[in-house]
Amino acid sequence: MSFKEFLKELNGNRVEGELVKTIFYSLITSFLFLGILYYFKFKYIENFIPKYGIYLFFSALSYALIIPTIRQVRAYKEMACMSGMMVGMTSGMVAGFLPGFYIASTNGMFIGGFFGAFVGIILGIYNGKCCGIMGVMEGIVAGFMGGLMGAMTAFMLLNDNLKIATILVFLISAIILISLNYMIYNEMKENKRQLNEDHFFTMVITLILTALTTYIIVFGPRSALFQ
Amino acid sequence: MEENITIKKNDMWKYLFLTVIIVAIVGLFIFVNAGEGINNPITGEVVNTGDIEAQKITLGMKNYNYYPNTITVKSGQPVELTLDESVRGCLRGFTIKDLGVSKYSKTPEDSIDFTPTEKGTFAFSCSMGMGYGTIIVE
Repeated sequence: MSFKEFLKELNGNRVEGELVKTIFYSLITSFLFLGILYYFKFKYIENFIPKYGIYLFFSALSYALIIPTIRQVRAYKEMACMSGMMVGMTSGMVAGFLPGFYIASTNGMFIGGFFGAFVGIILGIYNGKCCGIMGVMEGIVAGFMGGLMGAMTAFMLLNDNLKIATILVFLISAIILISLNYMIYNEMKENKRQLNEDHFFTMVITLILTALTTYIIVFGPRSALFQ
Repeated sequence: MEENITIKKNDMWKYLFLTVIIVAIVGLFIFVNAGEGINNPITGEVVNTGDIEAQKITLGMKNYNYYPNTITVKSGQPVELTLDESVRGCLRGFTIKDLGVSKYSKTPEDSIDFTPTEKGTFAFSCSMGMGYGTIIVE
């Protein structure tokens, strides 16, 4: 059973053996960043945690699950077209949907939709380029769609259990991303790793994504409904 | 930045354990301090003048929903409902499906007029179903 092999590899010497560590480093980076900001600035903002806490928390968790996929794809560098397209599409869609969802919950449909699409397209292209132009195209299309869809879903749920939906959306996305890690392992298990790297890249990209998301959620423009 | 990394056996469990602990601590902090958030049930005073000619009601907007979101009117008496300037976006499209009321109120002066003839409790909402409330016809 290759899923059992995959679980075994999570503790092995391949790149899959670094996925949990990557999640850990990403979470440490974003929680430290948010913790420092909270201590010096955010705790003075009225109702900060009830208004933004859950969305910032799940943003950090989401990025911590998206970034291991980037590490895994970077390690193999090149993939077959079909696998690469799936990687581009799934990464773009989830990386667009989740930020779009969180930001639309606090700032509105416009800023949520387009920020989600921006993140989704960038990460979709970055991951999809492992198989060339087809993966890149998949990344662009899925990132664009995911961003707008995530924002729209959150906006439509404003008066209907939005916080519970946030948890469910995150859990479903987590399952999708773990399945993607498994798919990449399954497709590439016969191939050699092309890149060994430390966790500097993980921490930098986490910091950029968390900083952008935090800035927009707390200080960014809001649609009329949120003013 | 590139270097050879050797993962020791059982490293994963250590990192998984630490990750779960960190998420649990931060998550607990967030949920304990989260309060009731934006999904509170909203109740407010009914703005009903009891006017013989028309029952005048003005709805505002609070926490992305109509305020008040429970209103009481008398059966057989015309209702003149207006949405004040705080009501924005799709909430300006007002519908009471069971009473056949549906109108987009462009301005606070643009009233939604109807006469409820049936007694009971009915749901009202915006045109997209995002803002909602209850109208009680006595």
